Amino acid sequence: MFQSWRKTILTLLILGLTRALAAHGGTEAAAIDPAVAEKNRKANEACFACHTEAGLKNPPRTDMDMKKLAETLRDPKVFAGSNHGTMDCRQCHGQGYNDYPHSEGSKNEISPCSECHATRVARLEPQYDKSVHARLEGVKAKFTCATCHDPHVNLGATLLKDPLKIAVQDNQACLECHDSDRVFAKYAPDDEKKPGIKKARPDIDTIHDWLPNTKLHWKAVRCVECHTPEVKANRPLSHEILDKEKAEKNCLSCHSANSSLRTRLYRHLVKEEVAQFGFTNSVILSSSYVIGATRNPTLDTIVIALVGLTLAGVLLHGAIRIIFAIRRKGRKQ
Amino acid sequence: MSERIYLLPLWIRLWHWTNALLIITLTVTGVSLHFADPKLPLVEFSLAARIHDMAGIALATLYACFVVANIVTGNWWQYVPKPPGVLERCIVQGKWYMFGIFRGEPHPYRVSEEANFNALQAISYWVIMYMVMPVMLLTGITFLMPEFAPDRFFGFDGLLPVAILHYLTGTVIIMFMIAHIYLGTTGKTATSMFKTMVNGWHEH
Ligand code: HEC
Ligand code: HEC
Ligand code: HEC
Ligand code: HEC
Ligand code: HEC
Ligand code: HEC
Ligand code: HEC
Ligand code: HEM
Repeated sequence: MFQSWRKTILTLLILGLTRALAAHGGTEAAAIDPAVAEKNRKANEACFACHTEAGLKNPPRTDMDMKKLAETLRDPKVFAGSNHGTMDCRQCHGQGYNDYPHSEGSKNEISPCSECHATRVARLEPQYDKSVHARLEGVKAKFTCATCHDPHVNLGATLLKDPLKIAVQDNQACLECHDSDRVFAKYAPDDEKKPGIKKARPDIDTIHDWLPNTKLHWKAVRCVECHTPEVKANRPLSHEILDKEKAEKNCLSCHSANSSLRTRLYRHLVKEEVAQFGFTNSVILSSSYVIGATRNPTLDTIVIALVGLTLAGVLLHGAIRIIFAIRRKGRKQ
Repeated sequence: MSERIYLLPLWIRLWHWTNALLIITLTVTGVSLHFADPKLPLVEFSLAARIHDMAGIALATLYACFVVANIVTGNWWQYVPKPPGVLERCIVQGKWYMFGIFRGEPHPYRVSEEANFNALQAISYWVIMYMVMPVMLLTGITFLMPEFAPDRFFGFDGLLPVAILHYLTGTVIIMFMIAHIYLGTTGKTATSMFKTMVNGWHEH
């Protein structure tokens, strides 16, 4: 009881702080003051004394369940580079972890995302609720925001910037489950025909074998590019994972001058796009050459002109030959 | 009946028509890939990619056979313009294409078993088959296995130079093909050279 009371006060303090920092006082988390960040970093060292590879090798005490500890390791460098890297672990985990052994029940007191991201959750939740994962019986109960977003690791697209890195991070979230029998079985519903047995995981590369260079595509685009509905330019990606029947199968949605990559993976870079040597979709070209999308209209005009001139030259030559042949025939007669 | 000589062995004719078919297929599908657009009614993108990949591999294999067969049979010698007087012969041949042909003058150099090609033909075929084609094939194979492409290229994706080389050499081959088909009509009659490519016999 006392624990949760303390936590509520802390939360209110944080909310007050983040609101004060937010320019228009919305209910949205904002960046943290460097001095506070430094204080948080010091505070987190206490947790990292145990919850790191180094801590596991050199535990500060000997009465711990080392097997369990091994499953809870965090990388301080990765955490520092993540969305929440400047925060105190306890802002999300509460005060129940201050001492070891940790207080009973602390695990159930992790702050929900909405506590700091109220505005975004209000926008995203309706989309998320329509998703296959939130609708499928047996799957939905275990699925949360953190299933895809590791709050200790992920970095938002606008901060990560490099589209190929974003693709790795965002695909990792899906593949960690869809490409692992062990993880998938934890979430999968029962097989319709064989009750009591978990549905088998379809192999991701086999499902998508109609997509050539499948592995290359996984490196260059995200699953969500095809599995979420289209949104207007400048709007964030939808969180609705569509039924498989509605997934994008049309190659031209990316492989054409009007590529949807502009409103998806490259959305955050399009504003700063600089035309390079006249290529269309120059913004994509620094990461990927995408047939049909990254072309050069000037070069295309030259090529079409050259082929056209060859054709015209040949036709003209042929016409002159025919005219001369007819004249020769006329003269002979 | 006019004079005729047996000029082209079966393997050359088979190679020639397979090569022609594959290059036309690659041209149609390649254009569909490059100019992919929902408004252009070309070959559907994924179908084009599949056909292009298969035809590309087939063409690369055929090219390897062509090179080996040329070495084994000694046919490669036909592609070498023989000095002395290569330049003069080219000029004479060029003049004939520009003027003589219209006046109904005969071909300046007679086709024989020893000299199947005129100097201009020998040079252009040599350039196309031994300079342009290898670039076409190597860039195509790199496209198939992009892990062998350079990672980066002056701040661009490393596939960009591969793609541009592939595109430009493809253009050269298409231009050559147009001229090549047209020059096929400049035999004794408009169709006699095509007949030679089918049955192997050349009519003087
Ligand atoms: C002295 C070592 C030690 C320190 C310091 C420590 N932990 Fe732990 N923690 C553990 C061990 C061991 C476990 C494994 C489960 C168990 O034995 O309770 C664990 C489990 C956890 C869990 C897993 C959830 C659960 O309740 O089972 C969380 C979350 C956690 N710790 C957070 C923290 C945070 C946050 C801090 C810093 C404020 C921290 N820990 C500091 C040793 C430590
Ligand atoms: C933005 C909120 C947030 C911050 C900050 C945060 N965590 Fe977590 N943490 C979570 C959430 C949410 C979970 C539950 C994840 C899940 O359900 O899979 C979690 C789970 C954990 C677990 C348990 C993992 C397990 O397998 O049971 C450990 C250990 C942990 N965090 C350690 C830390 C440490 C150490 C820090 C500080 C360096 C930290 N966390 C900072 C939100 C946070
Ligand atoms: C099925 C996996 C998945 C689930 C579940 C999920 N997300 Fe996301 N989320 C993503 C991906 C992928 C992106 C990257 C989109 C982008 O580039 O902006 C993202 C982006 C975000 C962003 C940043 C972009 C934005 O729209 O502001 C926020 C915030 C976010 N998610 C919050 C949440 C919350 C809150 C939940 C739970 C209601 C949630 N997510 C559930 C996959 C998921
Ligand atoms: C205790 C407060 C707090 C909690 C709880 C919290 N966050 Fe955050 N989050 C922040 C802060 C602070 C930032 C950094 C400021 C920003 O970019 O909005 C942030 C940033 C993010 C970003 C990057 C924003 C962007 O525009 O790309 C994402 C995504 C995100 N959080 C997702 C989550 C998810 C998912 C959860 C729940 C598992 C969660 N957060 C829980 C405070 C919190
Ligand atoms: C933690 C596990 C997990 C994660 C993470 C996950 N999924 Fe799933 N997903 C499932 C399970 C379980 C099913 C249900 C499988 C079934 O019923 O056949 C499913 C079903 C699906 C389906 C099929 C829907 C249908 O119509 O049958 C699609 C598409 C899908 N997921 C896409 C994604 C994408 C895209 C991501 C990442 C943004 C993702 N998933 C992340 C577990 C996960
Ligand atoms: C180019 C677009 C595209 C991309 C990228 C893509 N998918 Fe798909 N996916 C589809 C389409 C289309 C289907 C429906 C396939 C069908 O019905 O034949 C599908 C089907 C699925 C299914 C349903 C499988 C089943 O039959 O139950 C899952 C799960 C899935 N995709 C997951 C993923 C994951 C995970 C990724 C990222 C690694 C991903 N997809 C990337 C287009 C895509
Ligand atoms: C979600 C966007 C997207 C969709 C949909 C998509 N692609 Fe791609 N494709 C890409 C990107 C991005 C690349 C560039 C990969 C790289 O080289 O970095 C690519 C590369 C390719 C390549 C070139 C591989 C090489 O040889 O280097 C082929 C071929 C290809 N795609 C075919 C297809 C076909 C066929 C379809 C439809 C069935 C399709 N793609 C659908 C985004 C997409
Ligand atoms: C006359 C012959 C050929 C022509 C005219 C041609 C033309 C083209 C064109 C225009 C493209 C689109 C590239 C772009 O938009 O940048 C392309 C792509 C491609 N070409 Fe070719 N090409 C030819 C031969 C080959 C050969 C011999 C190979 C393989 C050995 C090959 C393999 C590829 C591959 C792999 C792609 C990428 C698309 C795909 O995977 O289908 N091509 N080609």
